[in-house]
Amino acid sequence: MTYFRNIYTVSKSILTGMGLTLRYFLNPATTTTIQYPHEKEVLPERHRGIHYLETEKCIMCFKCSNACPVDCIAIEGTRDGRIEGAYVGKKCEISKFTIDYTKCIFCNLCCEPCPELCIHMGPDYDFSGYTREEMVKNLLTGDYYNASDRSFVRWARGEIERLAEEKKRRKAEEAAKKKAEAAAAAKGAPKPEAKDAPKPAPKPTAEPKAKEEPEAGEKGGEA
Amino acid sequence: MTPTLASQTLARTILEGLPFLEGVPGWILYPTLLTVGCVLAVAILSVFVLFAVWLERKVSAHMQCRLGPMEAGGFHGWLQTVTDGVKLLAKEDLVPKHADRFPFLIAPIIAFTGVFLAFVVLPFGRNVIVADLNIGIFYVAAVSSIEVFGVLMAGYASNNKWSLFGAMRAAAQMVVYEIPLGIAILAVAVAAGTLGMQGIIDAQSGWFWNWFVFRNPFLLLTFVIFFLASMCECKRAPFDLPEAESELVSGFHTEYSGMRFAMFLFAEYGALFVASAVAAVAFFGGWRTGIPVLDEIPGVAGVAIGMTTMLVKATVFVFIQMWARWTLPRVRLDHMFTLCLKYLLPFSLVGLVGVCLWQLALPSHTLWFFVR
Repeated sequence: MTYFRNIYTVSKSILTGMGLTLRYFLNPATTTTIQYPHEKEVLPERHRGIHYLETEKCIMCFKCSNACPVDCIAIEGTRDGRIEGAYVGKKCEISKFTIDYTKCIFCNLCCEPCPELCIHMGPDYDFSGYTREEMVKNLLTGDYYNASDRSFVRWARGEIERLAEEKKRRKAEEAAKKKAEAAAAAKGAPKPEAKDAPKPAPKPTAEPKAKEEPEAGEKGGEA
Repeated sequence: MTPTLASQTLARTILEGLPFLEGVPGWILYPTLLTVGCVLAVAILSVFVLFAVWLERKVSAHMQCRLGPMEAGGFHGWLQTVTDGVKLLAKEDLVPKHADRFPFLIAPIIAFTGVFLAFVVLPFGRNVIVADLNIGIFYVAAVSSIEVFGVLMAGYASNNKWSLFGAMRAAAQMVVYEIPLGIAILAVAVAAGTLGMQGIIDAQSGWFWNWFVFRNPFLLLTFVIFFLASMCECKRAPFDLPEAESELVSGFHTEYSGMRFAMFLFAEYGALFVASAVAAVAFFGGWRTGIPVLDEIPGVAGVAIGMTTMLVKATVFVFIQMWARWTLPRVRLDHMFTLCLKYLLPFSLVGLVGVCLWQLALPSHTLWFFVR
């Protein structure tokens, strides 16, 4: 009797199983695959992906690079004047704004201190490259930090230095002029320096990427 | 056309189509036509294997909530198997250092040949058959067993214990499934009164209720037994014990690479097609559509209809085998022996006796007692 019961149970279980697989086979709604490069998953609103920068809002305050726990943000630029080809922020000219994604830990700490809300964690997560250089993204162009960007930044450093120098010179001239005026007046106006002091206030903490451009962000903007 | 050679039938079809060949002497014509037939058979086999591998991947994927290959070739990755084949062609043909070199090298060829030989008697239309042997279905059973020799040689020559285990299992498995398979074929032969493939198909002519599955309950039972046994013969899950990748790495073809591995793959999928085609011929009327008007169409259109019908029927059975493969887990070796010897064998004998008695009592009735 078990012999025939075996036949019955085996047939029944096989047919049940095959019915199940056939239902899955015929119903396209059961497919869970996402055809990745062609279609992407819908991400949560606050997903922390690759950054994007609203360049025209940036005031080059270096708060993001200071906040960064792994020092992956590099910013160069000036507030002293016009650099040919640089990206224009709010009262500043930015020649370099890169994030090194070999270092970045996507912690969102760069976005939080931004006073102008111009740096964001974007929705993109598929940023890749064959070399370490390709993993450095230039947020100004949206592409990786390539050779032409590099040569532009090298050239811009000279410009920044020149502008800073020029400004220093102009300031010195002004100060000298003022001193002369003060001397000519020979009376009041005891502190010409004190008048200058509040001006550089907006950028005292500006420590750029350590290597160069010590003057780039140091002295304050044109009043 | 005097039947000087066994390749009569396809030869006749070709000669009817090209009458100017009449003047060519027979000793040139027949070997040429034989070669043409063989090339056609190889072409059909190769194309079918490429299609079947793709189909298997798609079927398994969709049953597992996946999509399978989607990129190569555009529409649902239809070129995927071609690219895989090119990759296998470009791979190194490795022979293990301590392998028995000669058997190792010819084993895939033997396995492939065994399957390919069966194509000689597979009918794809009224006259579209390379050789309508009068022992056709017996010949299929005989030559498709040659594949096991290839498997055995591969396992034995590989000098690898997994391969050896796989080969031994293949041999043990063959001993048990061949008996119910042979008896099922015998029952078909009793019902048809012949062993020739075209004879079996002719015995099922007319409306589709004349097909042997619908003819009587014993033939239906025989069909189930035949189908299970042919699944064992194809060495596919749930009976894929010779390869059993979770136990034996990949069984008898563990040590094979490149094109020799591809030939085992060809043999496997070719055997799948042969088993499905024989099931279609023996129980589902072969190239006959089941509607008499369509079967009587002469000429190229009739051949086209016949080939399409045959390929569709075979593909349906191939699909059912894949469906079973992706549903059921692998059975244990002793369970498989139990199935074949304790269940299939007695029932196949019951089927054989039943078919004999039915032929004596109600020779001209189908399952629903329609007069033929």
